[in-house]
This record gives sequence, C-alpha cells and structure tokens, in this order.
Amino acid sequence: MSEVDLRVNFAGISLKNPIVGASGTFGYGKLYEQFYDLSIIGGFVTKGLSLKPRPGNPIPRICETPAGMLNAIGLQNIGLEKFINRKLAGLESVDTAVIVNFFGETVDEYVQMAVKLDKLDGVSGLEINISCPNVTKGGASFGTDIDTTGEVVSLCREATSKPLIVKLSPNVTDITRFARVCQDNGADGLSVINTLTGTAIDIAARKPVLANITGGLSGPAIKPVALRMVYECYRAVSIPIFGIGGISFARDVVEFIMAGASAVQVGTMNFVNPHILPELVSDLPELLASLKVNSVKEIVGAAHHD
Amino acid sequence: MNCKVLENRTIARGFNHLSLAPDKPLGPIIPGQFVMIRVRESMDPLLRRPMSVAGFKPDGSSFGLVIQRIGRGTEILASLAAGDRVDVIGPFGAGFPEPPGAAGELWIVAGGSGVAPFVGMLQPATRPVCRTRVFLGARNSGFLLCADHLSDGADVFLTATEDGSAGVKGVVTDLVERELANGYAPAMIFACGPAPMMRALEKSVSGRDVRLCVSLENRMACGFGACLGCVTKLKTEQRYVAVCRKGPVFDASTIQI
Repeated sequence: MSEVDLRVNFAGISLKNPIVGASGTFGYGKLYEQFYDLSIIGGFVTKGLSLKPRPGNPIPRICETPAGMLNAIGLQNIGLEKFINRKLAGLESVDTAVIVNFFGETVDEYVQMAVKLDKLDGVSGLEINISCPNVTKGGASFGTDIDTTGEVVSLCREATSKPLIVKLSPNVTDITRFARVCQDNGADGLSVINTLTGTAIDIAARKPVLANITGGLSGPAIKPVALRMVYECYRAVSIPIFGIGGISFARDVVEFIMAGASAVQVGTMNFVNPHILPELVSDLPELLASLKVNSVKEIVGAAHHD
Repeated sequence: MNCKVLENRTIARGFNHLSLAPDKPLGPIIPGQFVMIRVRESMDPLLRRPMSVAGFKPDGSSFGLVIQRIGRGTEILASLAAGDRVDVIGPFGAGFPEPPGAAGELWIVAGGSGVAPFVGMLQPATRPVCRTRVFLGARNSGFLLCADHLSDGADVFLTATEDGSAGVKGVVTDLVERELANGYAPAMIFACGPAPMMRALEKSVSGRDVRLCVSLENRMACGFGACLGCVTKLKTEQRYVAVCRKGPVFDASTIQI
C-alpha cells in the first residue's frame, strides 16, 4: 500500500495534514504539549485575540447539552501584546502552522490588529473572527451584517499580505452571501462554521443557565448543520474552506472534505479527548486507503456531482 | 488513561465511592487535585466530569472517587460495576499547599462530598506531621461521608449535623467558631464544601492570623485550562482565573468565594 498524502496547501498555508485545532478550544497552543508533540498536527488556531486583554463574561459560562455544549466565555484573552511576548516566542521551535484568530470592537481595531499581526514571523495565517455571538459589542454585529463584513475583510486585506481567513457565523439566513462577500473583498479562505446561538433554562431557578443568557452551541450535535453549510459554501466560492463543527472521528473529517472542506478544525472534542487531534492524524490514512484514496486533495468536494 | 473499576460502594443515599485501578500508575497526586472522568464512550453525555481524588495508593496503582448522584452523568458513573472500564485523565490542578510544620496545627473543614480531598491527605502514608483537627458536617448522621477515614487520620475529630443525629447540632462552621472562641488557634485551615460554608469560614478567620485555603468545584468542560468555562473572579483585580489550572485550591484571600 502506498503512503496516503495528507498534505494540504490551505490558501498559502502549508499543512502537513488537514487536522487543525480550532480557536477557543486550543488556548495558545502550548497547553496541549502536556498531551503530545504539536508537530504531529497540521496546525492550530489561537484563542481569539484583541488589542487589549479582555476579562470575559461572568459565570456560569458553560452548559452541557445533548451531544454538545453551550459556551459564553465572552472572548476572554490575554491581549495581543502578551501573546507576542509570552506565547509566540515559545512556539518558534514547534513545527506546525500557527493561525491567529483575532477580533476588534470597531472596524478600526480589526485593521490595527491586522497591521500588527502582519509583522509577526511565527504566524502562518490570520483568521478574522466576525462571528463570535457572545459579546454584544464584539463579533455579533460584524458577522451578521453583510456590509460590515465586507468592510472589515476589505480593510484587513489591505493591512496584511498573510493568508487571510474569515470565520463565518452560522447565525444568518444565507451563509453563502457572506461567503461570497468575503471572497469578493479579498479573503483567501473561510472557516465554516462558528457556534450556533442557543440557550438553556435552569427550571429550578426559573432563569437561563448562562449568565450571558445565550451561548454558542458546539460539539457533535451541530455536525449536520455545519456539514450542510460547508457543502453550500463550496458551491458558492472558489477559496478553500476549513470545515468545523462536531468533528469526532476520521470519518467525520472525510465527510467534511467530501462536502468541500480543504482541511478541518476540531474544537469541542479536544475537551472530551485531549488526544483527539493526533488520533485523527493517525486514523485518517487507513480510512482513506480503505476508500482507495491516495491524497486528501483528490477528495475535496467529492460529494458534489455537477 | 483507561481504568478498571475495582469496587463501587454506596456510602450514603445518593453517594457512591468508586475505586479505580489505572492501566498505568497515576503520577504523583497532591491532595486536592482532581481527575476528569469520561462518563461513557458515547457522545451523550458529552463532557468529562471533574472529580477530586479521594484517597490513593502512594504507588499510583489505585485511587478513589466520591460520586454525588446529582444528574445523568453521575448516575451513570454510580451504576458502574466492578470490572467495568472507564477513561480518566489527570491528575490536574493545584492541590492543597504544604501543611504547617510540626509546631503548627492544621484544621480541615469538610461538608458533604467535600470530604474527598481529605481522604488522601489523612491516609497513613501522606498524613501531615502537624496536629490535625478535622471538622465534618452533614445533614444527618447518614451523610457523614468517609468519617472512618477522616477520624483515623485526625488528632481531633469533630462532627456537626443539622438535625443533631451525630455530633453537635448545627452547621460545621458553628463548630469552627466554637473552637476558635475556645482559644484554639490553627496555623492553616483547609476547606472543601458548599460555597456558604466557605464564605462563613472566611468570615470566621477574618482578623486572625490564619491562612484559609479553599477548594472550589466549578463546572468544567476540559479540566486543563483550554475552555475557560470554570473561571472564578479574583478579589483584587477585575480578572478571572481558571479554577482547573490556578486552583481548584485557592488561598481564600485571593478570590471571590
């Protein structure tokens, strides 16, 4: 049996395999070195960064739901400066793609972030967070408004020559309109999808479980929705797509790739099984070989037949 | 890490004690540290449950957990039988600090399933060198969990029950107040139990030269610092810290209980 080729070139980012840790579940990377060597995985996306550190939302912030969880962390992060000084330097020796997820509270802050991030050697690519539904002044207004989305992407495009990926919110009527606007304004790739807005009620206390009232639903429960959106976006745009949403097994990875993803990001399952990424990397070749597939590239969008 | 269930005992109505043997010995455990246990190999319930290690063999070949049956996940865990297998990761977190030296006195205050970290702390192999005064509280005598373990390891062992069926009638913090009023002065107090118990303790020691360390049990998704779901607020700055990494044991003077 010849070796299965797992390599992916994602919008100019070289990934040794299509398995990437998703933003908000992977800290700033180092955290997972207690479990495995980060050079095994294709890459990871950092926790969403802002210009200034953010304390995040009051507790309770999380709630388990059937085959999933709600979170309203509120974009807690250490801020760009501490990331550069304390985290990025420690990743220099790690042979994996480091993608920085970032956001601003104003269009101008997005641009300032993009300008600063553009200068960092250790950063392989940027992921714009326009879709975090938790913070009223943060992501929500950008990612669900088509004109603001276009403006943010276009101005960030001017500010950086690094590969620019936009993480889309699923909380819109037609995600393909947003996918097209991102492509038209210079995005190099898309991440599909961020979490779905939901809530849960504490029936004894007669109030929402989360202090923030609503949170983002993630985990295996959202996989069919995410897969549908990847399928639709693949038909709408020609830029590469990261498939994200409830990926738990190698066969999920293959489903997303066949729906149109060039690579995938794994989020919530890192919490359940911190070894999930290396396990997927090791399971994938055998599964692809059993499907008579020689490379990841050859099955991107294979489920589309017209 | 895969573990075999050695024994599952009901220790009170709604409480079980699980003994687990990991396939590979668990690393060194500091009392107060916890493990994340997968309920079962399915997607529902999805998340692991954080459980304080309740006693362990010093060589890491087995350890205990106190399971309070409060929901689907813990009901499933409480239904495990000897020979079943469960997946566990850990130990995680900062446990209790070094107890005082031989000259000092350590007080241990536990309510409900808050006994768990002290089962290990007071076992013969790891017992502190200092004098220990243990305060255990519960609704009634049937809920004084692991009382034998604690009383064996303690120099002084005191209990309080809300209905007076064992020990002093009242809450455990009344008993602490009484001993303080009697002139006994601990160098440190280690506490684990419901938030009102820990808040009452904080009040009792205010103005005294006592270091109070409390173990929190916030809900967690991951247990190792990735999800930031379990945070607690610092007292002095407008900032949250992850209970799983900076805690679960905190100096009470640093956090909002």
